[in-house]
Amino acid sequence: MGDGRTSGRAEIAAHALAYADTLYNLARYLTGGAADAEDLVQETYARAFGAADQYTPGTNLKAWLFRILRNAFLSQYRRQRGSPVVGTLDTVDPRMSEAPATEWLRDDLELDRLRKVVAGEIEQALLTLTEEGRSVILLDLEGLSEREIADVMACAVGTVKSRLSRARAALRQRLQDYAH
Amino acid sequence: MRTSPPIDCTAARPLLLDYQRGRLTGPLHGEVHAHLDGCAACAREELAERALTEALERRLPQHAAPVGLKRRLAASHLASAGPTVTRPSPWRRAWIPALAAAVLLVVVALPRLAELPGTGRGSEGRVAAEAVNDHLRLLERGVSVASGGIHQVKPWFAGKLDFAPVVDFAGDAEFPLEGGAVEYFLDRKAAAFVYGRRLHHITLFVVRAEGLRWPAAPEAASRRGFNTLTWRQGELGYVLVSDVDAHDLTELAARLGSGGPAGGVQN
Repeated sequence: MGDGRTSGRAEIAAHALAYADTLYNLARYLTGGAADAEDLVQETYARAFGAADQYTPGTNLKAWLFRILRNAFLSQYRRQRGSPVVGTLDTVDPRMSEAPATEWLRDDLELDRLRKVVAGEIEQALLTLTEEGRSVILLDLEGLSEREIADVMACAVGTVKSRLSRARAALRQRLQDYAH
Repeated sequence: MRTSPPIDCTAARPLLLDYQRGRLTGPLHGEVHAHLDGCAACAREELAERALTEALERRLPQHAAPVGLKRRLAASHLASAGPTVTRPSPWRRAWIPALAAAVLLVVVALPRLAELPGTGRGSEGRVAAEAVNDHLRLLERGVSVASGGIHQVKPWFAGKLDFAPVVDFAGDAEFPLEGGAVEYFLDRKAAAFVYGRRLHHITLFVVRAEGLRWPAAPEAASRRGFNTLTWRQGELGYVLVSDVDAHDLTELAARLGSGGPAGGVQN
């Protein structure tokens, strides 16, 4: 076991810094600001290096770092500074839980709008989602499996499915709003 | 096996993302596929989901970590990694030199590319350079707690640090205490106290000293137009940094009880 811990620490030492960009990107969308994102990433690495013995070698290091980052965000930033979160922890956004995402797709013209959405619009739309909505969208974008997302977000796989579905529906609804 | 009727819209909709991602296996994939062939509404929904995925993947801005952050991470990484002794596998033996080179590239080459001052004298130089960077960041962001005196600022750090900063100077007319904040200093947290000096600001960083090299006596340095004064007391390291004259830092250090006249600090 000691060898496993050593190799886990070595793996973190060798590879953790390679995820600085992707961690910072997630941190930017969680905190909404550059300075807070920098602090959050630094806190994440400090915690990761401090807890290196808890990392299991060969598992998904990126997902492990994401979990640390999100936990750090939840424990520190939300409590200390308040959060840009719109809804609650358990929902993407109560107003969007049953978002009628298909209504605006009545014709191909509206589908075309979605295809032409610009970077600023989709960024703004994403930032209006709750922390859980943003997290599940971004973790999915990073290519994490539902099982890995569930580990990061400390929930069941089924919950990941429902949260992702609702977050995407809410995102489409936001983008529809921008189109009008 | 499945002999039930073909799935309807209600059953198909929640499966569209799994269908896109190729996560449906066996007959279920075929059933969704058949449903999409025969249902225009669900087919449009599936297209919309694809369009959203494409927008997220191709057009959502990706924020890269600033170079300064990467440099700090690399520095703290090296500091915390220490001389770990491992028994590298053949694979690791092959890659360790390359990874070490990559880390060194981040630590050494990037500051040069960005025309940042080199660390020069190892850890001591890093401490001063980090102090200047953090001082600038703190000025830009402002203190987290405005001062109502040292007895208001110090308790504010409780629970935010893994050490108790020993600072007893409450400020005076020449060096009023303006406030405090928690900052990251290389690989650790720092208590930052901001004092005023006429129209200028002086930041005092207090950190755990272990793992960094500190001068035996208070030591003054200058970089990028900022003066620093660094010393160690017990298990804590102290750095004063500001654009004020070095003599002002010396005066403030004396009020802080920096340990005597050595290194230019005068009582």
